[in-house]
Amino acid sequence: MANPIEQFQIKPIVDLQVAGVNVSFTNSAVMMVVTVVLITAFLTVSVRSRALVPGRWQSMAEVFYEFIANMLRDNVGSEGRKYFPFVFSLFMFVLFGNLLGLLPGAFTFTSQIVVTFVMAAVVFVGVTVIGFVRHGLHFLRFFFPHGAPLATAVILVPIELISYLSRPISLSVRLFANMTAGHIILTILGGFVVSLGAFYLVPGVIPFAFLSAVALLEFGIALLQAYVFTALTCIYLHDAIHMH
Amino acid sequence: MAERDNPPSLEELDARLRAARERERAGRGREERVASAGLGLAMRLAVEFVVGIAVGVAIGWGLDRWLGTRPWLMVLFLLLGGAAGVMNAYRAARGLDDTVGIGAAQRRRTRSEKDN
Amino acid sequence: MPQFDPSTFAPQVFWLVVTFIVLYVLMAKVALPKIGAVLDERQRKIDDNLDKAAQIKAEAETALAAYEKALAEARAHAVAVVRETTDRLGQEGERRSRELADRLAEQIKAGEARIAAAKETALAGVRDVAADIAGAVVGRLIGGTPDRARLEAAIGAALEEQGQ
Repeated sequence: MANPIEQFQIKPIVDLQVAGVNVSFTNSAVMMVVTVVLITAFLTVSVRSRALVPGRWQSMAEVFYEFIANMLRDNVGSEGRKYFPFVFSLFMFVLFGNLLGLLPGAFTFTSQIVVTFVMAAVVFVGVTVIGFVRHGLHFLRFFFPHGAPLATAVILVPIELISYLSRPISLSVRLFANMTAGHIILTILGGFVVSLGAFYLVPGVIPFAFLSAVALLEFGIALLQAYVFTALTCIYLHDAIHMH
Repeated sequence: MAERDNPPSLEELDARLRAARERERAGRGREERVASAGLGLAMRLAVEFVVGIAVGVAIGWGLDRWLGTRPWLMVLFLLLGGAAGVMNAYRAARGLDDTVGIGAAQRRRTRSEKDN
Repeated sequence: MPQFDPSTFAPQVFWLVVTFIVLYVLMAKVALPKIGAVLDERQRKIDDNLDKAAQIKAEAETALAAYEKALAEARAHAVAVVRETTDRLGQEGERRSRELADRLAEQIKAGEARIAAAKETALAGVRDVAADIAGAVVGRLIGGTPDRARLEAAIGAALEEQGQ
């Protein structure tokens, strides 16, 4: 049976060093490049015909576009327009990373904690910067609940601050843990199917049915996690732009 | 009056036209947020709690190193981090995890309830 | 877990940043404007078509209104014509029947007068004949000629007795 952890192993393909930093092109980087190429190809080829009545691919591209545009508009309002390309890129990157990872043998870069953490941290730092730029030190008022006695600030502000700082970590851990757990389960089940099916055809069918169901579930989780990641980005953006 | 080939009546046409307009205008409603349930939620709560403690400990550890007060600030921030972790988990369970401060989250909740 | 091996962090972060920036630029400059243009165009077409449909519907409504008005006018006109004709025909018939009745009444009156005159003459004839016969019968029975005046009186009395 294949080791279920092995699929997360980073394997360098081209060794590169830039200024003493290891920037080797790895299997993870391959999937990132593939993801970018596929997203771009999908979005440009599908709308090439500019059909008034869209075909299947074109309507899928439009669905993604409108989904993110509406999410941004509902959560952030019209001021969110200028962040649309970023939020859209983030959503597509996570979504395609999750989905492509479900293909047998493919590497899932969203199951790498460093990848999800850097994405979450970029969102988080960016949103914090936007908040401070727009509201200056007023942004700090977020860390103290309205109406609480001033003396409690000594306790409440550090707690809120820790809570705030834990956001990007919990966000990235959620994506990472979901992807990792899903792929481990799929690998183990796949191993069952192979080892049982090799000896007895009938017992292999049951794990296979189960495997299919779990694969479907993982597909849903891939969509959901991309959605959650993007939705929380929108909500943080809202809070940074509109302080109440 | 004899109807030729039963053409659609004007009222029907009017209704259809209005419906089409309405669809165009309304188009997209506000997405309902789906509350996560069961095992997923349990896992999230655990993650939120642990992450709160971890961040607290990390801050305490860093401040200790900086100020040379080892280990007192780490202990203090372990406690604060625990509190923050509990608060995170509480917010995640209540669906109040989508704003920066808990006060803002509660205001958002009451506002959206008023809207609906 | 291999994910926590720090030696894998730097290359992954580097390529993540590179690929994401490339993706961002591609989305912002190429893909999204294209999709946005298609969607805007469709929205405009849909709005146009809805407006056009509304306009055509309004035209249809005016046409229908005009048609119904014409229909109502025609119906009112037809009713008026029918009523006028009925009236005219009714008056004509009445007049004719009245004329006829008048003429008939005249004829009846004339006929009655003629009958009365004939009856008169006939009655007068009857008296003469009865007087002649009675004179003759009396002459034969008693001889001699009875007084004509007395005979006639007697006959008149007899006729009166019988309700003549």
